[in-house]
Amino acid sequence: MRKKLRIYVPFINAGMQETTTYRVNWLFYMFGNVLGCFISYFIWNAVYNSSENSTMNGFTMPQMIVYIFLMFLTSTLVSSGGTYDIGEEIRDGSIAMRLIKPISYNATFLFQELGNKAMTICILIVPMVVGVEIVRFNFTGAVQFNILYFLLYLVSCVLAYLINFFFNICFGFIAFVIKYLWGANLMKNCIVGFLSGQTIPLAFMPEVLEKVFLILPFASLNYTPVMIYIGMYNGTTLLYFLGLQVFWALFFWGLSKLLWSVSVKYLAVQGG
Amino acid sequence: MIYVENLRKEFKKTVKEPGLKGSIKSLFYPKSEKVVAVKDISFEVPEGEVLGFIGPNGAGKSTVIKMLTGILTPTSGVCTINGRNPRENRKSYVKEIGVVFGQRTQLWWDLPLRETYGVLKEIYEVPEDKYKKRMAFLNEVLDLESFITSPVRTLSLGQRMRADIAASLIHSPKVLFLDEPTIGLDVVVKDNIRNAIEYINKEEKTTVVLTTHDLADIELLAKRIVMIDKGSNVFDGSISELKNRYGQIRELHFDTDTKNAEKILSYGQHFNFEPEDLSVECEGSQMKVRFNSSVVPVSEMLSYTLGKISVNDISVKDADIEEIIRRLYKQGVE
Ligand SMILES: Nc1ncnc2c1ncn2[C@@H]1O[C@H](COP(=O)(O)OP(=O)(O)O)[C@@H](O)[C@H]1O
Ligand SMILES: [Mg+2]
Repeated sequence: MRKKLRIYVPFINAGMQETTTYRVNWLFYMFGNVLGCFISYFIWNAVYNSSENSTMNGFTMPQMIVYIFLMFLTSTLVSSGGTYDIGEEIRDGSIAMRLIKPISYNATFLFQELGNKAMTICILIVPMVVGVEIVRFNFTGAVQFNILYFLLYLVSCVLAYLINFFFNICFGFIAFVIKYLWGANLMKNCIVGFLSGQTIPLAFMPEVLEKVFLILPFASLNYTPVMIYIGMYNGTTLLYFLGLQVFWALFFWGLSKLLWSVSVKYLAVQGG
Repeated sequence: MIYVENLRKEFKKTVKEPGLKGSIKSLFYPKSEKVVAVKDISFEVPEGEVLGFIGPNGAGKSTVIKMLTGILTPTSGVCTINGRNPRENRKSYVKEIGVVFGQRTQLWWDLPLRETYGVLKEIYEVPEDKYKKRMAFLNEVLDLESFITSPVRTLSLGQRMRADIAASLIHSPKVLFLDEPTIGLDVVVKDNIRNAIEYINKEEKTTVVLTTHDLADIELLAKRIVMIDKGSNVFDGSISELKNRYGQIRELHFDTDTKNAEKILSYGQHFNFEPEDLSVECEGSQMKVRFNSSVVPVSEMLSYTLGKISVNDISVKDADIEEIIRRLYKQGVE
């Protein structure tokens, strides 16, 4: 096993080199995300200011702020570009170059992306967590940071990332069928953004919908880690949601293996 | 070693009607048509041989290589390498082969070349001491030293191709597939690469399948040729067989003072040559006449020419392989 993993270490390196080579790209990407985050902050600010109640669906204004920024942090941490990369490699035929190597196709992507993320994680996590804690301290007058919740949050993020990664790989295999998936990807991102509570907290949904959405894999992506961080889940609820995450991760892992073995038979590699 | 029988590959191609309406229509009723890229190809390559695999553009060479390397699944037919099916157990199969596609690179774009080789060493599980020896050897035959610390994306085409070939050889594969490894390279680099291929074939008995449009590659490296066109075999045999079978072509070169020599001679009318059996090129006082010597013997051509015009210098040449192949490409299947 250790030896097997060693094969993939170079891919982490390659991923890190990639981000450092395309620093400007990365900066713009982060800037876009931060901007989106502030936009939703201002929208919610306006919503709360025009509302008579100080609490909406159990969220006070400061809680909402914390939610928005944690959502931003989480979705950045667990984001995965597998769909786009696979689609692109199929389209230009460079997938062949992965196929002629004695390595697992999915794993090379996974480790390359982990390398890609290393910089994001290092740069983002400390200032975001400190910022969030300052906001929480300001409004409550007490330190809210809970190391246990934080560690569980990290565990939950890892699970969420794996779900997202394998989900995106599955989705990417659609590229074998439609061969061009920019539009499909855009649509997917919108739907996932909505169902995962990124746009609106799932607690704002009608109760029936909320129950359904919580079971769907999308809630496991962003909503669960965030809820864990802010201490909304306890005891058995917490175990239940972590278990659900494990289930979805395994589910999509299995599905991606299945889809891979099916679609590789239909693979039409383009170009000389 | 390599065994290919009745290999066939069809692609489904979605056809889209033009315009927005067509796009929407094909979204709901996708129409597809069948493209037969490889119709029916058979050949064998014994261990340690260099096979020249040639054919005009679109003949299906790359598609065959992709099937042999396990990238594509054949629609029907058999291909085995060392008794193994490339599609079964992909990971262990690709450890035994090396592949270079001249038109794309297998190197990591952003990594310095040396690190790329480090990655490949891990992937192929080459032991440290073997790897050191191998790198020294590859360095010697492909001359990588001067650019081994540069990131791949900064390499010139010639450097990249040498680097790619080295990458395909790190694990000492038994079979090497080279799809247009000399495409777009200058003479010196081509020479370099040919020497490397020849050396590896001789020293390590590596079996090589080589596609190329540069027939000098073939003449220098390959003992045997398999030629395909439109997805079917056209010729399979040694270069001398090819010359015997199709090589009745001779080239007459001469230098003349006579004006309008071409008109005066009018070979075509005089000897009743078919168009494909004769071609005449004229450049100043130099003339180059290619003709089929089974239609008109060389001696007859010579005496006719010398009798008609005044000639300063004359020579007769064997057809080179390039000419033979040009004729074959033109005719398609005989
Ligand atoms: N993925 C594909 N989809 C549809 N047609 C293809 C595909 N790949 C190759 N072809 C067609 O198959 C034929 C053979 O292509 P190829 O094997 O690349 O030829 P060569 O390498 O001999 O130039 C060409 O007509 C090409 O258009
Ligand atoms: Mg080709």
